Amino acid sequence: MQPATAPPSTHTAAPPAIEVTDLRRSYGDFEAVRGMSFEVHPGEVLALLGVNGAGKTSALEVLEGLAPASGGTVRLLGLDPVADRARVRPHLGVLLQSSGLPGDLTTVETLRTWAGTLTAPRPVEEALEQVGLTGRADVRVRSLSGGERRRLDLALSLLGRPSVVVLDEPTTGLDPESRRQVWGLVRGLVDDGAAVLLTTHHLEEAEELADRVAVMRAGQIVLAGTQAEIAETQPATIRFALDDDVPQPPVPAGVRVGGTGRRIEWQTSTLQPVLAELLAWAAANGVVLGTLLARAGSLEQAFLAVADGAHPTVTPEENR
Amino acid sequence: MNTLTATTSGPSRLSRVWSLAGAETRLLGRNRTAVVNSIVLPLLLVAAIPVLGVGGGDVAFGPSLLVSEVGITLVFLTYYNLVTTYVARREDLVLQRMRTGELTGTEVLAATAVPTVVITIGQLVVVALGVTLLGEWSAPADGVLPLIAVLGGVVLMVLLAAASTSFTRTPEAAQITTLPIVLVSTALSGLLFPLSALPDSLASLARWFPLSPIVELLQLGLAGRTWQGQPVGDVSVWTWAVFPMVLLTGWIVVGAIAARRGFRWAPRR
Repeated sequence: MQPATAPPSTHTAAPPAIEVTDLRRSYGDFEAVRGMSFEVHPGEVLALLGVNGAGKTSALEVLEGLAPASGGTVRLLGLDPVADRARVRPHLGVLLQSSGLPGDLTTVETLRTWAGTLTAPRPVEEALEQVGLTGRADVRVRSLSGGERRRLDLALSLLGRPSVVVLDEPTTGLDPESRRQVWGLVRGLVDDGAAVLLTTHHLEEAEELADRVAVMRAGQIVLAGTQAEIAETQPATIRFALDDDVPQPPVPAGVRVGGTGRRIEWQTSTLQPVLAELLAWAAANGVVLGTLLARAGSLEQAFLAVADGAHPTVTPEENR
Repeated sequence: MNTLTATTSGPSRLSRVWSLAGAETRLLGRNRTAVVNSIVLPLLLVAAIPVLGVGGGDVAFGPSLLVSEVGITLVFLTYYNLVTTYVARREDLVLQRMRTGELTGTEVLAATAVPTVVITIGQLVVVALGVTLLGEWSAPADGVLPLIAVLGGVVLMVLLAAASTSFTRTPEAAQITTLPIVLVSTALSGLLFPLSALPDSLASLARWFPLSPIVELLQLGLAGRTWQGQPVGDVSVWTWAVFPMVLLTGWIVVGAIAARRGFRWAPRR
């Protein structure tokens, strides 16, 4: 796994639907995106993770053709999102992180208006049903709940049957049921061969949807790969508690010891043999390991490590 | 990828813009404040014009009234309304949303302007019919110049409105940020009193302001009078029209450049 760029995916047969090479974007002196490269192929979901201010939205705006890059290239279906706008847009579905819709149009009027601007829209009734708003068709947008408005927004994004879909935090503010509905929609898109790039704060969402994950920090991708590959970068954890009269177990090689008092935490890159050693010791000495827990490294752990700046690929110099 | 070849099909550009323009018109109709601002207030202004002492005398009153009506409608309705509308749509994040679709930025702005432009033209027609019915009409010196003035004026106002959004942070702030054009241009355009009433140096300067060539063309075409209020006489009105037409074109170019450079699609954060 290469740390700074997303690895080529397994879908090597088709050319990438999204191809980003050394993308940079500056606001005056501040460089918000500092050399990002990744690809998304048809039928694939790439989740872009990162804390607020990591540069996710700044990067997406260049892909969406809303802002110019200050360096690098972006290709959607092999085309430039700004120069080839007219050819790209009919195939691109965009959901902005925050966007507005006129409050005094009804749900169905909003969809009809948008459909009227598209080359090949899906039927409005189908779009309503897709996001579960059929019963709210004649309600004015201003009277919709936040979640309903978000789903209407998503329906607009998908109205043109896009083959490239860019979703900036699609489920933020949605209740769990709506969130699952959106996940179902995204899976449907992918099954139909769309390439989906999404950003999210919810690790659960990335785990649920993403074929590959890229974790951003300070304008760069610092970790990328499948979820398993990313989780593997993190040490596994073993936790247990000992009674007061029990001696400490021998610490196997390569284990970092933490915890307080009689509650012990081990971190290791080789979970299985270390755990086997511990269990063998416990069995041989008749020791009960209280509240024993053994867990492989996780995406969440990797995300937090990156957020804390602890991930080794971010050097202090890069960190400023 | 093979689908890329089919992108030129679908509805025409005009029908796409019309879809958004129709929604905008519906929105305007549902906003009572906007309806009052767009229709009632300008009509009151028109009603007040005789009180301001324009017209009268031995010439028919209609042409002068229509000149004032066009100028006032362009500034108070087309320009002012569009500044507030564009800023409101920008601050509500609607413009940014629209810009993610297939319409181009220019198409989005044009569609948003449609209801205002329709009301502008509608008001002018009503006033023109009104003065005709009142018998205050005299045949225009030239029929084409007023059309050029109105169309060029509408285009200029849309562009100036788009440009003015760059220094207007909220719809309410438009009350202040539109003042330069509303006040200066209205007062010094020959709209409320002839430029010849001003000292020579000021009059010559005022003739260059954005609304002035529009008013000048209207006066030439409708009343057959020059910017100094003199009858055109034996010379063709078109000879006199060259300067204001060139100037109006120049302002449209300036407006387009300013709009292109200054227009922001998203709120400043």
